[in-house]
Amino acid sequence: MVHRQLNLREIVSGMLVGVFLASGVVTEISGQAGSGDYEVPRTAAGHPNLQGFWTNQTYISLERPENVDKAFYTEEEVSALEEGRAVNESAQTTPGTIPDVHYDFTQFGLDRSQATFARNLRTSLIVDPSNGRLPRMNAEGLARAEAVAEHRSRVGRWDSAQANQLDDRCMIMRGAGPPMLNAGYNSNYQIIQNRDYVMILVEMIHDARIIPLDGRSAPPERVGQWMGLARGHWDGDTLVVNTTNINGQNPINGSSQSMTVTERFTRVSDDAIDYRFTVDDPATWDRSWTAEMPMKKTIGPMFEHACHEGNYGLYNTLVGARLEERLERETSLRERQRR
Amino acid sequence: MAMREDSNYMRMNRFCLAAIVLVIGILVTGKTSIAHHAFSAEFDIEKPMTLKGTLVRWDMINPHSWFHIDVEGESGNTITWQIEGGSPNELIRNGVTKNTVEVGTVLSIEGYLAKDGTEKAVGRNFILEDGSRLFLGGSGQKAGGGQ
Amino acid sequence: MGTCLKKFAAFCLVLLWPIGVINLGIAQERTYIPTRTAAGEPDLNGIWQANNNAHWDIEAHSASAGPVLVLGALGAMPGGMGIVEGDNIPYLPDALATRNEHFANRLDRDPAIKCYLPGVPRATYMPYPFQIIQGAEHIMIVHEFAGAVRTIYMNEHTAAPADSWMGWSNGHWDGNTLVIETEGFNGMTWFDRAGNHHSDALRVVERITRRSEGTLIYEATMEDPNTFSRSWTIRMPLYKRIETNAEILEFRCVEFVEDLIYGQLQK
Repeated sequence: MVHRQLNLREIVSGMLVGVFLASGVVTEISGQAGSGDYEVPRTAAGHPNLQGFWTNQTYISLERPENVDKAFYTEEEVSALEEGRAVNESAQTTPGTIPDVHYDFTQFGLDRSQATFARNLRTSLIVDPSNGRLPRMNAEGLARAEAVAEHRSRVGRWDSAQANQLDDRCMIMRGAGPPMLNAGYNSNYQIIQNRDYVMILVEMIHDARIIPLDGRSAPPERVGQWMGLARGHWDGDTLVVNTTNINGQNPINGSSQSMTVTERFTRVSDDAIDYRFTVDDPATWDRSWTAEMPMKKTIGPMFEHACHEGNYGLYNTLVGARLEERLERETSLRERQRR
Repeated sequence: MAMREDSNYMRMNRFCLAAIVLVIGILVTGKTSIAHHAFSAEFDIEKPMTLKGTLVRWDMINPHSWFHIDVEGESGNTITWQIEGGSPNELIRNGVTKNTVEVGTVLSIEGYLAKDGTEKAVGRNFILEDGSRLFLGGSGQKAGGGQ
Repeated sequence: MGTCLKKFAAFCLVLLWPIGVINLGIAQERTYIPTRTAAGEPDLNGIWQANNNAHWDIEAHSASAGPVLVLGALGAMPGGMGIVEGDNIPYLPDALATRNEHFANRLDRDPAIKCYLPGVPRATYMPYPFQIIQGAEHIMIVHEFAGAVRTIYMNEHTAAPADSWMGWSNGHWDGNTLVIETEGFNGMTWFDRAGNHHSDALRVVERITRRSEGTLIYEATMEDPNTFSRSWTIRMPLYKRIETNAEILEFRCVEFVEDLIYGQLQK
């Protein structure tokens, strides 16, 4: 992609076109491996070429919504959903409401409707269990979830930096992976590969997943990582990535450090990768669960997401919270003195 | 603020989509907009503000960009305000660079004051002199106006 | 008799030529011919690490006490022969004064202490490994420290759209040497722990050449008219991490520095 200097007018009209194109594109229904006719381009090492910029942005939620009990929407239903959300997202927020205390996503191109995304007719990303929902949590998982909730009820979110969410602290995004779930925006991945390694760079927060293909053994158990440690191999034309050594500190829906993830990447067309993952976590669920997210080709670059370095927001918020407390203390002190 | 949750769901829906929702039976699950709460902890919902000034610098950084705007005070002095905006990454993918918004560009900001008591605010709307909104905002529609 | 002498002379020439050449001082270093990737490029893939004390101070220096009393000998600065060609960084007078102030206040000012991305070329010689991954259109350099990542654009060369900590890198091959030209720095990084610094006008040209199976030669030339009176170059070997289980691990240091940065704002 060439960066020529665009004036603001060009950018507006360009993006408006982009929005219409994105919402109108129909790709393979997730789950159907591409037609057998597709000849996947290969790297110099002879492997299917997964390289490029990809997005897994979607409107489809991980779990099937409560009042839906079919596995697929119709095309019309999804079109209505996408159009409705686009209208919703580009509308102005109401002054004096919490959503209004925010920069406008639309202006910065950060609405989901402004993003590239694959059309997905599934009613949930989860394909197994077949009801499209997470398995029931086991006793261990529930106990852990309770402990987390109890801790949160005691600690104020603005008491300290550490009391905040991981993404507010610019440590890691929920869903950075594995498994790699879609972010609200900038839900992009850069894939680089050669004979011995595949690298997946997650845009936020510049996380490089380095996947060796040399069949090396699993890492020592004691080396826990936020994104685990991956081992990959080619199964025919599908890249299979097994990740272990996940430290459990960035849980997916209550997962633990016992979680292991198996991901499968299959390029099914020039602009689509079928991404399928299975989560195993005996400390949380008594069975595994599997989801599919179509990945669609998008454009680069992925500009450096130096989150921690630019995290003035967290600093300002803590300053503001302490200031508010001080003012409250002073006000109540004055009131006591008056009596 | 990075939005990993489905926090766009919490946008106040001005348009009646209830009929559509009922007909197609798709319930959009609304997860709590925790990310919005973070902004309303940094900025004061009770203190909406507007200002107009000239751009000194746009720090195209993450997780949120910052616009430095020179505003003329009442006594003729100049105060530099810092206004929080969005991640520049998608704009950069669409050709925006550090040269796109020129130094000296006149900008009107509608937003909310920071709670930390300094000259900071979040920019709900960034509006150019011709009334159009910066980058991809389209024209005209002001906060609180219409519909 | 004449023919015999000629033959003998020829024999001596052939046998002793290498020795003679070396003694005459016109020998060139034995040139290593790097293996090639499947795509036919010189193979720089692997996990590499510098092994010198440049991360303390890139100029030649002797050992000295460190700024943190309780770290004792482990926090003291070891000596180093320096990696700067010509030994001294050619600072402009004001910039030199700033460097000295930085050094005196390095505990407060060194951006790496706060887990900020370390910039280029500092990331190369910090005492942590990094991995070079050659892809089709991009070469990635992934650093263990703070998970810093550099995308080297090999085909599509554009200007930096905005300033960043690790800069914007365009690369090309010059024979067997990878040449990387980087600009678009935000001016907020240092070259080492000793306060050596630059502005956002910095431009770095790196030259990376495979010297042997297990080593690279790394050169970087710095240009910054706001800070230096001329360009200057650093040079060092980089060593392959040859352990079969060598792997870039996470060094997500944000959580290690939160108390440092935000501690005073705790409730």
